[in-house]
Amino acid sequence: MSLPAEERVVVTGWSCLTALGANTETSWSRLLNQEYARGPISCFPTDGCRVTEGAEVVLPELPWLPKKAESRLSRASRLALPAAREALQHAGLLDPAGRSKLGHLEMSLSTTATSMERIEAFVRQVWEGKSPIQQAGRVASYQAQQQVNDLQTFLGFSGPAAVVSNACAGGANSIGHAFDLIRAGLVDIVLTGGYDILCELVFCGFDSLQAMSPDRCRPFDVNRNGLMLGEGAAFLVLESESHARRRGVPILGVLAGYGHTTDTFHLTQPAPDGTPLEKAIRKALEQSATSPSELGYINAHGTGTPFNDRAEAQAFTRCLGANASGVRLSSTKAAIGHTLGAAGSIEAVLCLKTLQTGQIPPQLHTTDPEPLVANMLARPGALLEKNAALSVNLGFGGSNAALLFKTP
Amino acid sequence: MNTPLSILSWGAVSPGGLGVEALENFQNWPTTVASEVADPARQHLVATIDASILPEKWRMRPRFRRASPISHYMIEAAAQALAPHPQIERNRLGLIYVSFIGCSVYSIRFYRQFQKDGRRFASPMLFPETVANSPLSHLAAELEIGGPVYSQIGDKSCWSSALRTAACWLHNGDAEQVLVIGAEEFEPHQLEAFRSMRWLAKPYTRPFAEGAGAVLLGKGPHSGRPSIVSLKDGFCFRSRNESRTAAERCLAEFAPNLPVLDSAVGWIRPVAIAALKGRTVHDGIPALAHEAFGASCAWDTIRAAQRLSIHPEERVLIPYWGLSQQIGAAALEGTP
Repeated sequence: MSLPAEERVVVTGWSCLTALGANTETSWSRLLNQEYARGPISCFPTDGCRVTEGAEVVLPELPWLPKKAESRLSRASRLALPAAREALQHAGLLDPAGRSKLGHLEMSLSTTATSMERIEAFVRQVWEGKSPIQQAGRVASYQAQQQVNDLQTFLGFSGPAAVVSNACAGGANSIGHAFDLIRAGLVDIVLTGGYDILCELVFCGFDSLQAMSPDRCRPFDVNRNGLMLGEGAAFLVLESESHARRRGVPILGVLAGYGHTTDTFHLTQPAPDGTPLEKAIRKALEQSATSPSELGYINAHGTGTPFNDRAEAQAFTRCLGANASGVRLSSTKAAIGHTLGAAGSIEAVLCLKTLQTGQIPPQLHTTDPEPLVANMLARPGALLEKNAALSVNLGFGGSNAALLFKTP
Repeated sequence: MNTPLSILSWGAVSPGGLGVEALENFQNWPTTVASEVADPARQHLVATIDASILPEKWRMRPRFRRASPISHYMIEAAAQALAPHPQIERNRLGLIYVSFIGCSVYSIRFYRQFQKDGRRFASPMLFPETVANSPLSHLAAELEIGGPVYSQIGDKSCWSSALRTAACWLHNGDAEQVLVIGAEEFEPHQLEAFRSMRWLAKPYTRPFAEGAGAVLLGKGPHSGRPSIVSLKDGFCFRSRNESRTAAERCLAEFAPNLPVLDSAVGWIRPVAIAALKGRTVHDGIPALAHEAFGASCAWDTIRAAQRLSIHPEERVLIPYWGLSQQIGAAALEGTP
C-alpha cells in the first residue's frame, strides 16, 4: 500500500554538526556571518601532502554519555551521535532521559569512510607484526554497522538500517531513500542522514588527484582551484504527514521531490554538459509538481573544482531557463568544506534553514564568477522570496541527486 | 514489501567458475592456503577466483583495465543475469550493489604505497578505485544503466535491506526491473581482521571465498519464475546474547512450516541452530561450504531460485545472518 497521493512527506526535525559549529544554530549563524572553517589538519599527519588544511571539526563533548563509552567511540560516532540526538530532540522524539521515545525507528544513513581511522591504525599495526587479537575494537568499529549500533545503543531504539554509500551524493541519496520508503507506505517515520570524517586515506587520495585548493575553495569562480575537505554530520526526521499530525508536532518543511541519476561519463568527472544532473533536477521538479519559477534557492554541490562547477552551472542554466535570474545559488562548501557522505545531508538541512528563516547562505570567496551563474550567486544578506529550495549533489562514480524542499 | 518480487534471472561468478552450475558444485571449488600478513605461519584455507577464468572481453573495456577484482566479478555476474532479457530498457533498470568489505585490494594497496613512498607519491590512479561505489559506477557505465543506482554496505543482513530497496523502487515505479548484486573480493589482511574478531574460531568457521552473484528482480509473480513473497529485515543485536532474541523475532515473522535454507556461518551458527529448532531444513539446497558475505547471500538466493524454478511447488525461507548487527530473511516460492 502506498502513501495516498495527497499525503506529503514532511520534515519534523533536523540537525547539523560542522566545522563551523557543533549544532545547527551555531553552524547556521556563523555561515550567515560569512565565516569559514579552514585550518590545519590535526587528526592525522599531512606532511608530504600538497595541501595540509581542511575544515576539521572540534569534537563536541558528550556529557550525556559515560566517559568510558565516549572514549571508545570512533570519530564517526563522535560526529553522528550528537547530530542524531539533536535531530531527535528537534522532532520531539527524545524523552527526558535522552532516549528515543520510539523504540522502533528505521534509519537510512550515508557514509563513505565509516571509521577509516580505525582500520588505518589496524593495518599499520599488522605491518608492525603486532597481534590482531588486541585490536578487535578497531576492526569492529570500522564496519558501517558500528555507527548504526552506537546510534541505537546510546539513543535507545532499534529497527532496520540501510547504509547507502554513493560517495559524495550519498547524503542526499540516504534522505531520498527514506522519502521513497515513506512514499511506498513501508514505514511512517525515518531518521535519516549522513556522517563522514577526515581521514588520512581519503585526504591523501584527494591530494593525489590534486583536487584540493591550496588556498581557498572558490565555488563557481572562474579562477577556482579545488575543494576543501571537511567533516561533519547531519540528520533529518522524515515522516508521513498523517504520522506527524498524529504526534502533534510542528511540520518544519516538506520534502516534495527526489531525483537521482547516474552519470556514466567518467569515474571521477561529471559529463561536461551536466546532462545527468539536469535529469535529476528535472525529476525532482516533476515529482514535486514545481515549476522552475517557484524555486528560490539552490544549494549547489559546488566543490570549487573546474569540472564540477562548470557542469553544474550548465545544468542549472538549462533547467531554469528564463527563471534563472529569480533563483539564488550558493555552495556552502566554501565555508564548511566538502564533507563527502555527509554533504548531501548537511546541505539539505541548510536548505531547510533557508526556507524557515528566509535568509540565504552567501557565496563565499567567489570574486570572478562563472558567467553562466554570475547573476544567481547569493550575496551577503540575500533573502528568499519563494517557497521552494533545491539541494543538489554529485558524487565520484557518477551519482547525482536532487532534493526539492518546500515550506509547510 | 507490498507485492511479490519475481526473480527473473540470475548470474554468478565463484571460485568454481562462471555460472550457476559452477556455483552449485561448491564442494569441489579449489581452495588455496593463504597466510596472515603479520604472521605468515598462520595459514587459512580460502577459495579465490583464478582471474584467467574471467572473460577477456571485460579486461579489454576501458573502464575495466584498472578496475578492482570485485568489479570484474560483478560485471560478469550482471551480464549473465541480463543475457536472457535483451529487451530490457536499461534506462528503467535499477542497480544495487551489496558488499560487506568492498574494494579492499586496492584500498590496502593504495594506503600501503603512500605509507611506504610518502604521501606526496600517493597514486591518483589507484585512489578512485578505493571508493565504495566505484565498482557499481563501472557496471552502470558498461551496461549503460540509466535507472537508480545504490551501493549498500553492511553485514549479510544488508542483502535483505537491498531487496527491500528494490521492492520500493519497483513499487514506486522508479524502475521496471532491478539488478541486485552481492560481491566480495579477498585480500590477505582480512584474515587478521577476522581473527581479531574471533571469527576464525572453530568449529563453525568455513573457508573464505570471493565472487559475485546477481539476481534480476521484477514486480509481481511471473509464470515459471520463483518469487520473493515476504521480506523482513532490521532485527538488530548489539551482542552475541542479543542475537538470539533477534533471530527468534526474525524467524517468528514466517510460517513455522516453511523449510529453511541452512545459511548460518561462523559464530552465529549455534544461535541459528537454536532459533531454528522445530523447523525443517530444506534438504534440496545444501549449505554452502564457504563464507563470502554479500556474495554468499546472492549465491544462496540464486541456488534457492534455481531449485524453485525446477520444483515450483516448493517454498524456502532464507535467513541472512549478519555477523555484526542485524538479521534479515526472505521467503521464496515457486510459481507454476
